[in-house]
Amino acid sequence: MKWFRLLASLKLTLVGMLLLVIGASFSYDNLLDVTMWVLVVPLALLALNLTAAIFTNSRINRQPGLLVFHIGLLSIIVLAAIGRLSFIDAHMEIAEGQGFTPDLLLETKKGPLHAGRLEKVRFVQGNFTVDYAEGMHRGLTNSQVLIPDERGQFTRKIVGDDRVLVLEGYRFYTTFNKGFSVVLTWQPDQGMPVTGRVNLPSYPLYEYKQDNSWTPPGASPVKFWLQLTTGMREDAAWVLDARNSRGTLVVTHGDQRVELQAGDSTRLEGGQLRYDQLSSWMGYKVYYDPTLRWLFFVSIIAVLGMAWHYWQVMGSRLFPAEARMQEKTFEH
Amino acid sequence: MSTEGFATELPWMWSGLAAYALATLVALSGVVIQNVSGTSTRSGRFERLVLTLLVAGVVLLAAAIAQRWVRIGHGPWISLFELLMSQLWSLGVIYAIAYWRMPRFRASAVVVLPVFWVLGSWLLMLEPKASHFPATYYNEWKWVHVFLGKVYLALLLIGVGLAGVMILRRFPRAERWFRSMPADDVVDRVAWRVMMLALVFDSLMLIAGAVWAQDAWGRYWSWDSLETSAFVTWLALGVGIHVRLTYRVPPWISGAIIIGIFVLAFTTYLGMPYVSAAAHKGMV
Repeated sequence: MKWFRLLASLKLTLVGMLLLVIGASFSYDNLLDVTMWVLVVPLALLALNLTAAIFTNSRINRQPGLLVFHIGLLSIIVLAAIGRLSFIDAHMEIAEGQGFTPDLLLETKKGPLHAGRLEKVRFVQGNFTVDYAEGMHRGLTNSQVLIPDERGQFTRKIVGDDRVLVLEGYRFYTTFNKGFSVVLTWQPDQGMPVTGRVNLPSYPLYEYKQDNSWTPPGASPVKFWLQLTTGMREDAAWVLDARNSRGTLVVTHGDQRVELQAGDSTRLEGGQLRYDQLSSWMGYKVYYDPTLRWLFFVSIIAVLGMAWHYWQVMGSRLFPAEARMQEKTFEH
Repeated sequence: MSTEGFATELPWMWSGLAAYALATLVALSGVVIQNVSGTSTRSGRFERLVLTLLVAGVVLLAAAIAQRWVRIGHGPWISLFELLMSQLWSLGVIYAIAYWRMPRFRASAVVVLPVFWVLGSWLLMLEPKASHFPATYYNEWKWVHVFLGKVYLALLLIGVGLAGVMILRRFPRAERWFRSMPADDVVDRVAWRVMMLALVFDSLMLIAGAVWAQDAWGRYWSWDSLETSAFVTWLALGVGIHVRLTYRVPPWISGAIIIGIFVLAFTTYLGMPYVSAAAHKGMV
């Protein structure tokens, strides 16, 4: 037991805290080339120290408020560790009219013990609007999504930077990453028509680089450049809305160059390309951590424990008795 | 709503800062006169005047904030100009209450009020340009986080006042200024009680900030400059409390620890947002 009491030493607490300060400083800006051990080691040391202190230090375990606080701290460390082992953090881009599927997730960071139910997430992306203030400052995003219920009915919900969509514990946040897409139908000379969409780069971030390419089946690559009219203004507020936007699609295929409006078709080598309509896509950040609610409640309880302890120690007064004694003042 | 043209809040702001400046001069005069008179009895008239000027400063700055809010359409959350003005107001509110309720510690105002001067002088050098209110700020938890942060910083400032007294008392001339205050061991105990209360509000502020960050930026913690600095400050507060529990620390060292923690907190709140270009760039 002697070693257990040594493990509870306040000096070890100070060492652990200082190591954690160093680890936090190394973790600044979440640099990818910083090993997680700069945080794991001090947190593990402090967890052992806390556990030992809770059991052996009567100044902690005989004062309920302080005990609650320290157990709370230990619980936070454990919950944060579980969260990091089971989280998911990803981005995705989903087009208007498209239904969510797990394979839409990009740049996925996942904990090794992630066991969520992403395949149960169901929603269909609708249209969106984004408010811009004067000077192109992005304001509120209103992204419409349709969520099916068991009866196959859809509920409409508006998601924004400030309004998260939570489905099966997965949290979807709109981002600045959104843009336009063009819906195309390719009718090959032989075979069935194929309808799909080509997403253009983020708008208005890449206002002058709205280009992409696509290789139709059995044909050579086709380049697209979308010339947009969206009502964008720098000198006043405006609203980005694909329904109020127009796009002229410049199609380049070999030596051939043609400009299409929505509904137009053009003959290319290998088939016929029709520009069906202008559409949009929205970028979401996807986050999952099963410990979020637990972390919140445990943190609040820990702080309430600390406050309770101080209330008891201070006897509901901030000042020791000597400090409360009033003295006469003199008048000038 | 006009976002350009004359900043109508400026005359109110200047008046508020002038009230604070006068409060500082009166507080200094009070301790100097007490020093000259060789008595440890406090000057009631000077103290009432300091409190009146503090309250006047708070009211005038409240008017300035309200004017700006109407002018630009949102509260003082974004630019350094807004943060400083709002901070001067909230520090004034809470310190005025502390000054009123802590009569035996009023002499510490000569340490606290010059901090108001520093912030006020900084504010006077800034342009009152209108700022943009980002979507991430429509979250209710922002209010909770900001309120808790203001109380936390104000408590730290009260601690700094007491810490300053413990350090200045090492100098014979300054020691006379604080004869009306209790002995160092009492001041030290009160200072650390204030710091422990600050830890409660700091912890709640971090929790509220994490909830806000989760819904505003999609993650509750990301080790960006502001979060890292805030966490280091929270740890420093914990280290300070544990140092005091583990070692017999002389009052002036105890005071130095408190001031060090305040410097960290000050840098976190008013420095970090303007150092990093990370996603959680302080306020946007």
